[in-house]
Amino acid sequence: MNTEASATRRGIFDRSTKGKTIEPVSVFIERGRIRFFAQVLGNHDPMHASFEAARAAGHPDLLAPASFFVVAEALADEERARRALPSAAQLVKCDYRYLLHGDERYFYAGPIYAGDEVVHATTVLDFYDKKNGAMEFVSLESTLTHPTRGVLLRTTRTLLHRLPAQEG
Amino acid sequence: MSLVDLKSLQVGDALPELEFGPITRAMLALYAGASGDHNPAHIDIDFAKSSGLPDVFAHGMLSYGVLTQVVTRWAGPDRLRDFGARFVSITQVHDKITCRAVVTDVFQVGHETRARIGVKAIAQDGRETLIGDAVVACA
Repeated sequence: MNTEASATRRGIFDRSTKGKTIEPVSVFIERGRIRFFAQVLGNHDPMHASFEAARAAGHPDLLAPASFFVVAEALADEERARRALPSAAQLVKCDYRYLLHGDERYFYAGPIYAGDEVVHATTVLDFYDKKNGAMEFVSLESTLTHPTRGVLLRTTRTLLHRLPAQEG
Repeated sequence: MSLVDLKSLQVGDALPELEFGPITRAMLALYAGASGDHNPAHIDIDFAKSSGLPDVFAHGMLSYGVLTQVVTRWAGPDRLRDFGARFVSITQVHDKITCRAVVTDVFQVGHETRARIGVKAIAQDGRETLIGDAVVACA
């Protein structure tokens, strides 16, 4: 704990959540959601749209696009909301007035298909400041895990608050 | 289907460029719905203005999802081993994005030959919006 920084810190994130993991929840990956997501991104690869093409290529069903994690996370957070459980963004107290995305990285361990049921979990790794406290960061790690095929995706990312100018 | 042969890749090889946009407000609304990211900073100009911003701005992950395709269109979606990018500037409404990719390394992991590919998304005025890299399996 850096006491000097905490005395003057004007951050918004709840730093007591460092090391915490939100409640893992299971989500069902739908064909329609894969198609819609790929289409909006201008991704016309038939692996994300045509069941027949995906089967002909040796896949059991439509393949989720590379950044489909965002959809799985949103579905998981909707389920958490129904159970009155916090999302990672709520847990660390993201403030959308000042929130930006720093970076995001995916490590692909196996394909995600329509029809899969995967467990989404997120852990709060760390908090830190930059630019003399004008920006504060949180780093998160998440996984999507299939009950028999294991971890299919691991992701790390940072979110940040670009803090308003200090008053007084 | 590969335009650059995966088996004879060399450092410095450029992949075909990909263009996207211009980004419209309708696109941001659709991305919010498709992704489930309903952050109002991207879709509600009243919220943006009340936060001191001049306008809504694009979801970083919209450009990111487009940028992944500069690699997956060429290599195929199932060859991607990892992909990461930093958001270096905000993508604004009406921006037109060009995605570029260049092979930076070819290496071996076990029996698999892999290539690391540097990727960038650049707006019409030359402003870089995302910078990252991908690893793909070549053989």
